[in-house]
Amino acid sequence: MRPILVYLAVSGGRLKKSSLEVLSHARGLAKQAGAPLEALIVDADPGAHVAEAANYGPDRIRTIADPVFGTHLNEPLTQALETAIRAADPAVVCFASTEAVKDVLGALASRLGAAALPDVSHFELTADGVKAVRPVMAAKVLAETVATGTTVLVSVRSGSYDAVPAPGSPAVEALPFALGNVGVVLKEILAAAGGQVDLNEAQVVVAAGRGVKDEEGKRLIEELAAVTGAAIGASRAVVETGMFPATTQIGQTGKVVSPTLYFAVGISGAIQHVAGMANSKVIVAINKDGDAPIFQYATYGLVGDLYKILPALIKEWKSL
Amino acid sequence: MIRFLGIFRLLKIAKKSAFRMNFIVCIKQVPDVSAPVSIRDGHLQTDSDRMVLNAYDASAVEEALVLTEKHGGRVDVVLIGPEKAKETIRKALAMGAEAGFHIPVEDGAGYDSAGYAAILAAFLKTHSYDAILTGKQSQDTDSGLAGGMLADRLGLPYAANAVGLELEGNALLVKRQGDTAQEMVLVPLPGVVTCSNDMNNPRIPSLKGIMASKKKEVTTVSPAELGLDAAALKPATVVTGYRNVPARNPGKKFEADAEELARTLVGLLQNEAKVI
Ligand SMILES: Cc1cc2nc3c(=O)[nH]c(=O)nc-3n(C[C@H](O)[C@H](O)[C@H](O)COP(=O)(O)OP(=O)(O)OC[C@H]3O[C@@H](n4cnc5c(N)ncnc54)[C@H](O)[C@@H]3O)c2cc1C
Ligand SMILES: Nc1ncnc2c1ncn2[C@@H]1O[C@H](COP(=O)(O)O)[C@@H](O)[C@H]1O
Repeated sequence: MRPILVYLAVSGGRLKKSSLEVLSHARGLAKQAGAPLEALIVDADPGAHVAEAANYGPDRIRTIADPVFGTHLNEPLTQALETAIRAADPAVVCFASTEAVKDVLGALASRLGAAALPDVSHFELTADGVKAVRPVMAAKVLAETVATGTTVLVSVRSGSYDAVPAPGSPAVEALPFALGNVGVVLKEILAAAGGQVDLNEAQVVVAAGRGVKDEEGKRLIEELAAVTGAAIGASRAVVETGMFPATTQIGQTGKVVSPTLYFAVGISGAIQHVAGMANSKVIVAINKDGDAPIFQYATYGLVGDLYKILPALIKEWKSL
Repeated sequence: MIRFLGIFRLLKIAKKSAFRMNFIVCIKQVPDVSAPVSIRDGHLQTDSDRMVLNAYDASAVEEALVLTEKHGGRVDVVLIGPEKAKETIRKALAMGAEAGFHIPVEDGAGYDSAGYAAILAAFLKTHSYDAILTGKQSQDTDSGLAGGMLADRLGLPYAANAVGLELEGNALLVKRQGDTAQEMVLVPLPGVVTCSNDMNNPRIPSLKGIMASKKKEVTTVSPAELGLDAAALKPATVVTGYRNVPARNPGKKFEADAEELARTLVGLLQNEAKVI
């Protein structure tokens, strides 16, 4: 059996939880198929993440090191992935569906002549490829999709699986890498003010919508996020006002999240927003319009003015 | 006098920008995802079967129009799709694009992003444009692959998920949305950029635009003319069926004063949902 290779993304100095979720799922599939499980770390200093990766049971860890990977640029990452895939010759390559992966998946598939299944919520191996479930039509329906080919690339929505450790002692191999021609130049990184909690990693998300109208509303969102230990998310409509950075946008255009607890505050529940949060375990909706579509998805719906409910909720939470 | 005016006009254009950029935008016709959908015999059906210009592609058209209005140049569009999809080309022409190319394929041909990218690449190899824009993804499938695949097939540099676009010298300065930050990248031309709808709000075609679009040229280019054979486009990914998203457990809705709502919620999160 040819190996299954899982690319482990690094973010904020750690392996991304969503990557470890994919590695955990792939471990089960590899075992079932009798295929070796390999992990790949591409970073300025990949060695720093080997121990954590080993904790999730791959048979082998391949690393590619280059200072260029201190920041994201599509061409170097594509080259690194191509190098590793040619070296490992895997039947299937799995990714967590991060923005960085979305940035390279098409070009990588084309360069390798591989089939690509982006943004799946479930996948398994078949005799000649991969069978997956993909949310489509703004995540209103699920498409059963099969991919065949010598190599199949699969990217997985965050939160689709649990990250479950299974410590092992894998072989570690550093792959030689020489950066080739890169046309695009990275000029500047515009980091969001105040640093940014990675939304994909968050167990609790407090998301603001257009119902949050002013600095006072923003402060309430920030305070609720602080007391609940949440990352802040936002709807497209409120991002457009400039009150919250674009990196917080959740939905079809923005990020897909599936935290344990999701607060939708002053969000109407347009399908393009729901597409990014419907898989949250518990959804709390706070909206003054009792007929807002968001209540169709809410585990607990609170009908009322967010400017009154949030202070009471913050107070109640603090008294726990 | 006439000659003088001509030179004056030339100077005016030259002053606007040294570089007049020619754009082509790849546009797709997609079902309206906001219409209710149902599944019949494993096939998807939207209530109205209403087809629209992919929202991400509309933003790409808009951005190309804004840049050419500012710096000069022209915007053409290309679409692969059935005969009916020509109405979507007309929509882009009504927004202000100058000419359209229609590459006819059968409805339900079952191409995946790789197939469409292969056709687009074959077409674009025979044309010369400074910048190729695509949407960042199709609204119906959320694939987000064709732009990168196209760039790779053409051997061109690209930037994906653009939320801002500027001309800088003979290159495009792209603001793109990354995981935890936005990145400013310079894409040399010719190059490819995939556009987010967070880039702008596409204009609604004016009556004048709609009238003008009727006189604009739409050229049909068959896949055979492009030297493509069907076998090479055989999709490696195939949808075998559709299923409904499993329904969420019905929730509870409360209306009371704020203090009571807060107490009720925290109680439920602790004792029922057990998430605190
Ligand atoms: C192609 C495409 C992609 C898109 N992608 C995304 C995406 O990724 N993410 C996204 O979010 N949207 C996306 N959208 C936009 C989406 O369709 C909606 O326009 C958007 O989600 C609306 O945001 P909202 O709910 O904050 O605003 P609104 O729809 O205006 O809702 C505001 C809500 O706040 C409530 N409210 C007002 N005041 C109060 C108060 N004092 N207390 C309590 N409640 C109050 C109102 O009752 C209302 O329900 C996309 C659209 C398209 C076409
Ligand atoms: N049939 C098509 N005709 C023209 N452009 C297309 C077609 N399919 C995809 N594209 C372009 O590729 C982008 C990404 O498509 P996808 O990979 O399907 O998400 C779209 O936003 C379009 O710009």
